[in-house]
Amino acid sequence: MKNTSEPVAHTQSDEQSQGARQRLGGLHQHQIQEQDDIETVDYKMVTFSLGGKDYGINILKVKEIAKFTTFTYVPNAPPFVSGVYNLRGDIISIIDLRVMFNLPAQRKAEGSAEDGLILRLDELMIGVVVDSIDKVVGIVSSRIQPPHPIFGDVNIKYISGVVEKDGRLYIILDVDRIFAKDESTAEKPESLPPAGAANAPELGEDVEGIEATSRQAAVGKNEEQLDLDFIRESLVTFRGFYPDGIADAWLNRRYSEWRAERSKLGLDVQLTGEDDADEFLRTFYSPYSGRFWGEDYAEGVKALLAQEMPKNINVWNPGCGKGYETYSLATILRMRYPDHILKIWAGDNDLLSISTAPNLVFGADAVPTLYEPYLVEAKNGFSFSSEVKDAILFEYHDVTHTNAVPNVDMIMARDLLSFLPPKQQASVLNEFSDKTSTGALLILGQNEYVSETLGWQHVGSAVVNAYRRL
Amino acid sequence: MRVEYINPFVESAYNVLQEVLSVEITRGELYLKSTSMPVLGVAAIIGLAGDVEGRVLFDMSKVTAIQIASAMLQSMEMEPIEELNDMGKATITELANMITGQAVTKLHNLGFKFDLTPPAIFTGDNMEIADTGVEALIVPMELPFGKIEINVAIRERN
Repeated sequence: MKNTSEPVAHTQSDEQSQGARQRLGGLHQHQIQEQDDIETVDYKMVTFSLGGKDYGINILKVKEIAKFTTFTYVPNAPPFVSGVYNLRGDIISIIDLRVMFNLPAQRKAEGSAEDGLILRLDELMIGVVVDSIDKVVGIVSSRIQPPHPIFGDVNIKYISGVVEKDGRLYIILDVDRIFAKDESTAEKPESLPPAGAANAPELGEDVEGIEATSRQAAVGKNEEQLDLDFIRESLVTFRGFYPDGIADAWLNRRYSEWRAERSKLGLDVQLTGEDDADEFLRTFYSPYSGRFWGEDYAEGVKALLAQEMPKNINVWNPGCGKGYETYSLATILRMRYPDHILKIWAGDNDLLSISTAPNLVFGADAVPTLYEPYLVEAKNGFSFSSEVKDAILFEYHDVTHTNAVPNVDMIMARDLLSFLPPKQQASVLNEFSDKTSTGALLILGQNEYVSETLGWQHVGSAVVNAYRRL
Repeated sequence: MRVEYINPFVESAYNVLQEVLSVEITRGELYLKSTSMPVLGVAAIIGLAGDVEGRVLFDMSKVTAIQIASAMLQSMEMEPIEELNDMGKATITELANMITGQAVTKLHNLGFKFDLTPPAIFTGDNMEIADTGVEALIVPMELPFGKIEINVAIRERN
């Protein structure tokens, strides 16, 4: 660390030095009566200008007024961090308020000193660079008015008030707030080149070279991250798909695949419409989605069914669509537990799909052979026998509304949760837990995951993705 | 709500309204609602019991109610009404009874057995209805006199 100057006490006018003396005197609570003001001065602030406007900071927060000449530049710091500074052995960071608040800054000649303040906030010291220090002004705190958006360029939440003194309007900054914000942004590395770079002429060539490449790498990584974020957004917009927390792993896998696919075809990575979104989601859907399950999946589900089941088996199947999967499940359960009383609550909020479900009729070629024992001939094809059909209750129902199902032994919700906003996802998962007890089976979509912390243990195979209630 | 219940209500609402009013009726998009909802001003309610529990609510504005009642009365060569008096209320109640009755008959033929409670009518401003635990199916019917919202909430007895 290198520093070439010490902060110097800044005295410009009698009024200011008087203010400074009072400040150095520890600001006793003694009352200062001003000639033109019969009210008691109980608030002092150091005033300065930023982008041509007058600002103030509570003097109790100001440790000293300083002139900064050379900062040590910090790589990969946010642009408003000018660098660090050695203040008589203490290393403090220097923030340029003008950059932080996007105010115009006058360019100072190389090597000339910047006006600034050193602030003391709890245990931490921090330096701020401003256009120029004005003076210390004493005011009556009751005269401070709440901030109004028209008063300044600085974001309103950083303003603790506005006060008028001798015909000038001062905006009082809330440094505790600014600093708190500063802390949170400092944790996140930003890819923008630090604005303080110009203040670091002492950095060697080689160091700058390394810095440049690492910065490029950071930018490249951020671009990919940015693309992925855009894709997430587009999936929400076009298809109401929310992978957050439930299908993140799939999304990341799919994204790398997608990048490769798209660059091979010379197409943009971004999803430009619903067709692109559908293409992207093509690999998401579970096997036999919206169709009768084939032998492999049916066997996979059968393998997960418990030996012993209560006499009354209750199953919940939200998001059942046209009902093909519900019938598949009902058939498998009927085969496995021929003497039990079976009841499946199936619901969907798509009226067109669900309205055909109770009386589903299909051609014989559409059905895998395993369902044959349970089919009966209907007017225009085949439908399920009453053994299977009567076990299912199809409802026009939105799973995010109140669910009137009783406690169930099994839930099938394939590719449902991923199409609910995170909040509803959580409440539906909660409801899954409420409606089940230990040992209950939950079948989710092939690419959907539930954390064990929610009380579901993964028990699925490569074919069926399932969980058992802990 | 069980899928089988939807059509009987939609059909009988359409048929009865067309029959008694002889006007053009268009059915709006059906949808589900579960939170509390505002009531337009006049609400006729009929309870359902039996295999299920629930209720059917016919909801319309006061102006619409007066016009519908007047049209029904005139078709029976009676005097139209100017305000929602006892005769008006009785007429709206009867309309609700006819629609629900026909729907329940249709359901009975499908094998679902319901009983009806006598209809009641509520009027007032800024009313709201909330049924916790039951999701309601809304069947909007557009008439030249205004809109009738048929609000069906039926739950299976477990």
